[in-house]
Amino acid sequence: MDGLTKMTKIEIVISGRDAPPIRELITSAGATGYTSVSGVSGLGHHGPHSGALLFNESDTLTMLITVLPPEKASALISAVRTLLEDGPGVMFVADTYVSRPEYFG
Amino acid sequence: MSLEVRAAVARATRAVIPIWPLSSFIAVNPLGGRESEDFSVAAVMRPLSAFRADYSAGRITDVELAAVLMDRVPELDDAGRVTFDGQDWTAVDLLVADLVHGQQADPAPALPPAADRVDELVAKWVAAYLDPHPAWPMPSRELGLWAAWGAMARHDPQLPAKARRQLATLPASADEGLANALTKLGLNDGAAAKILKIEARRMPGWVGYIKWRAAQVGDIDLTSYLAVCLTLRWALGLPLPEPTTESKTELAAKPQTDLATDATRAATLAALLSPQPAASAALASIARILALHPPQDHAATWQSAYEEHYRRRLLASLPTTSKRVSDPKVQVVMCIDPRSEGMRRHLEVDAQIETLGFAGFFGVPIRFASYLARGSVDALPALLSPRHAVTETATDTVRAKLRTNALRVRDAFSAGVHASETAPPAPFALAETVGWFSGLATLVRTLSPSLAGAIDAAQLRTTPSLETEVTVATAFTLEERAAMAETGIRMMGLDRCAPLVILSGHGSTSANNLYQSALDCGACGGNPGAANARAGAAIFNDPDVRELLKKRGLPIPATTYFVAAEHNTVSDHIEILDPHLIPESHAAAVREFTAAQNTAADLLVFERAGLLPGASEQPLARLRARADDWAEVYPELGLVRNAALIVGPRELTRGVDLERRVFMHSYRPECDPDGTALETIMTAPLVVAQWINHQYYFSTVDKHLWGAGTKTIHNAIGSIGVLAGQTGDLKIGLPLQSVAVGDLDLHEAMRLTVVIEAPLERVWEIISRNLVLRQLFDNHWVMLTARNDPNSDWQRYSTSGWISDPLAVEPDTVEPLSLKPHDVESTEGDK
Repeated sequence: MDGLTKMTKIEIVISGRDAPPIRELITSAGATGYTSVSGVSGLGHHGPHSGALLFNESDTLTMLITVLPPEKASALISAVRTLLEDGPGVMFVADTYVSRPEYFG
Repeated sequence: MSLEVRAAVARATRAVIPIWPLSSFIAVNPLGGRESEDFSVAAVMRPLSAFRADYSAGRITDVELAAVLMDRVPELDDAGRVTFDGQDWTAVDLLVADLVHGQQADPAPALPPAADRVDELVAKWVAAYLDPHPAWPMPSRELGLWAAWGAMARHDPQLPAKARRQLATLPASADEGLANALTKLGLNDGAAAKILKIEARRMPGWVGYIKWRAAQVGDIDLTSYLAVCLTLRWALGLPLPEPTTESKTELAAKPQTDLATDATRAATLAALLSPQPAASAALASIARILALHPPQDHAATWQSAYEEHYRRRLLASLPTTSKRVSDPKVQVVMCIDPRSEGMRRHLEVDAQIETLGFAGFFGVPIRFASYLARGSVDALPALLSPRHAVTETATDTVRAKLRTNALRVRDAFSAGVHASETAPPAPFALAETVGWFSGLATLVRTLSPSLAGAIDAAQLRTTPSLETEVTVATAFTLEERAAMAETGIRMMGLDRCAPLVILSGHGSTSANNLYQSALDCGACGGNPGAANARAGAAIFNDPDVRELLKKRGLPIPATTYFVAAEHNTVSDHIEILDPHLIPESHAAAVREFTAAQNTAADLLVFERAGLLPGASEQPLARLRARADDWAEVYPELGLVRNAALIVGPRELTRGVDLERRVFMHSYRPECDPDGTALETIMTAPLVVAQWINHQYYFSTVDKHLWGAGTKTIHNAIGSIGVLAGQTGDLKIGLPLQSVAVGDLDLHEAMRLTVVIEAPLERVWEIISRNLVLRQLFDNHWVMLTARNDPNSDWQRYSTSGWISDPLAVEPDTVEPLSLKPHDVESTEGDK
């Protein structure tokens, strides 16, 4: 990983109607941005999920992806864990490497 | 800490359903956050005494109770029989007798939490913050609720001096403020989470509205709200909030049946059924059977039987043989709203008129601004976010300028009067100068609503008319427009086109009605549907769109023209929109339709008068003048008595009087080869219909907790919502006058019965891959009956598979559901 900078990548899959507070946590944690993919499909703890629906954005799954420095990540991870504690939704955390660290705070 | 606090707030308020403002009222299921639980656990039902009264009146029968019990208590199959006093009783007979004659009392009614000092103070400050008085806005409002409140609270004379001193030094941010309050109250993480949840449930109206506003406007959030609540609780030295009725229900274990209770029930039942004392062995057998259906399950069984009665009657009323109109001269596409059913039925008296049902936004989700208007409305379902802004362009710029000038003069006059009403000394001068004219206008509107309406109409006529086109072609790409048209065709099964196709949205008019938008189109975001109908017609008439549709195998004949219209649900007139765009070739057909529609409108107004309080003897003109009568609390009855959604071709229902109770979405499987259209219907119109149905359900079952109570004591908070009286929580749900007259319920509190004619395998797959549908159907928030095609038997959906439903087609032997007009008249004085 020569020349790349280590960062933490956090991916959260959650229902569309529950996504706004997660977005707020991400921005409050100091992340400079995130990617939001609505209408993701798959199979999870609560069974299968179809992909995008034509006239319903609230009841599909959304995947939120953010990358931020490890020192900022721990607070966000802890907060998302609190939020997901007794509700649907999953979080994946992984190390990642970026070429332009200034983009990610 | 800040992030942890925000996460704790988000977690505590996850189940809170956002509440839309009155200006764009959206019906919601107030318990929508609990759809992951079974309906019988999460929801409330009518009292047992009400169900027993329905039983006595024949509205629920033994047959339906037995059918529901067999469904809900599978152990009954092997429960055996009991003989006593020479009579043989099956297990299900005993359980029916226990329901009907048993001594089970109603549980204590759910009560809203008693308002305490904190609620009063918070409601006052939140109202001041969200609805600033034009002359005296809340200082520092631009800093947000927490900072603005913090700056003012230390001077609040309603607080004791000690509390004001404690509030003098508060943390700067709401996050820190909430963390500080939790610490001062001595709450650790676990206790804090519980208290946040309880506090958020104390005023569900304000909390639900703030959740909506945080997402849509962003000038307030629930962290600030809870920070204010708990900081006040600490400063005033008040005890921590008690769980509300709902949270007590959650926290307490469900009562368990025990042998003693069952034995007592058995003895009571045996005594009721026979004057001879039952043998102990018989009593033990009865007790064993009664234990299969404990008292806490009775309300759910009654509720299901109440719905089963309607469902069977509905299915039995559908024609067994169907014939499609062979060569329609007009097709009228109307919203799925139950009020359309009456209009469709009366229009179809003309055998050459075919009607279809489609979500009233016609598949065109837009943010719409009228010509040169300052604001805009989100004319789309609440399930979507606005992405496309549409407005109007004038086709005659000279007339447009004349109209704009006239409206500006009128606006300037109105603004001047309004400013004079609100500026501190001006109202006195205003009363002296124009007060006489206002008094006269008030007198006219009070004594003669019809004349007031005529004056309003004349005023409109003197304003130069405006001929415009909607800018749908610039808001959407050609590909997007063609995709919307294709979606519409496939969803409503428009496999042929008459020469004239009318897309009719709907809206309502009423005077002095804070809940007017609740009578408008839910699919258009609580707005009238004219803009969406115009956009839809423009798309279908677009030659480029038609060219693309032709390439996709969906040709629209060149002789077909789409006309936009709007159904006024008070007058029942259908107004033709954009008449200047109608080609001469279709003008005669439009005139002919309008004549037929006028007849249908008169018939429908008279039909609706049968249920409208105080209306049965009123002449046609007076019935329509309700829209202009500012003392009229029942201009129309909206979607009252809504009970079912039918998805299928019109042949399935044509010719049947569905009593304006059924949402109807047209659908033909042959137009939907991959099932996408059905999936869209089931995940959008069905979901919205369910919201509306549950709003009516809960507003009826508890008119004060989940409904808004009587209109007569409502005070508006701007366009946000209403209070009952002068302070307290924002009211949620529908007012009493939307669901009842005095003590008589106009609405029948039933869960939505969904009926679909489509391949069962397809329906099953769609439910299986959509969590929202699995929760609704598997947890019994909605009931589903379906059949493959007209030649197949009806099947009921269950989590274990389709269940053959022979009861559904038995001939109806019960009294009609309709309320008799005299029942309504007798309680009119209560309004």
